[in-house]
Amino acid sequence: MRHRTTTPHFDAYVAAGGDLADEAAFWASARAGQPAPDFSLPRLEDGTQVSLAGLWRSRPLVMEFGSFT
Amino acid sequence: MFIYTREAHPGENVPHHDTMERKLAGARLLREETGIIRDILVDDLAGTVHRAYGLMPNMTWVIDRGGRVAYKADWTSAANVEAFLDRLAAARTRHLLGTAPVMYQTQQVEFRRTDRTRFMQHLGRNGPRAVTEFENAQKLWARRR
Repeated sequence: MRHRTTTPHFDAYVAAGGDLADEAAFWASARAGQPAPDFSLPRLEDGTQVSLAGLWRSRPLVMEFGSFT
Repeated sequence: MFIYTREAHPGENVPHHDTMERKLAGARLLREETGIIRDILVDDLAGTVHRAYGLMPNMTWVIDRGGRVAYKADWTSAANVEAFLDRLAAARTRHLLGTAPVMYQTQQVEFRRTDRTRFMQHLGRNGPRAVTEFENAQKLWARRR
């Protein structure tokens, strides 16, 4: 099944079962109580690399994923 | 904190990200239109972080100070998250009285507006193709049932 990021057409993505695959991927991801995956990503404002672990070290980190839609 | 992912409903005006410049422009558009003041971090073009966390278009996760998952939801309900954060904060003091965090699973219904006008307007803002493709997807979903 083609991965979501290679399918820029929403209907093609659904036709290929991409939405079902993504739901399955969510349930397969880290479970409550398990270590959260750590990554470094650039901050939009200034481009500096920010590590997720650096953020959750000081206080619980609320991460919302999303896009413009 | 907000992690900007691939566009869930790309269209002529808000296209699929084929370059990082395009992705950053999309993230800036999000910032300008929504006025959110939280930090926005931008995922890479391959969606590496999005994939690691499960690829749903609008998840919320809460990670505790030990780097462990405290809460994961496949859609974002601000009320739900806030109520959880209150309990998490309260539990930090209760820890002194002999409680510890234990995972349990729930599924629940959430109550969503049946009027999709605003959502369709957002799709229209992304471009006519975003609307058409969503309408096509609705037909596909109807066939699945």
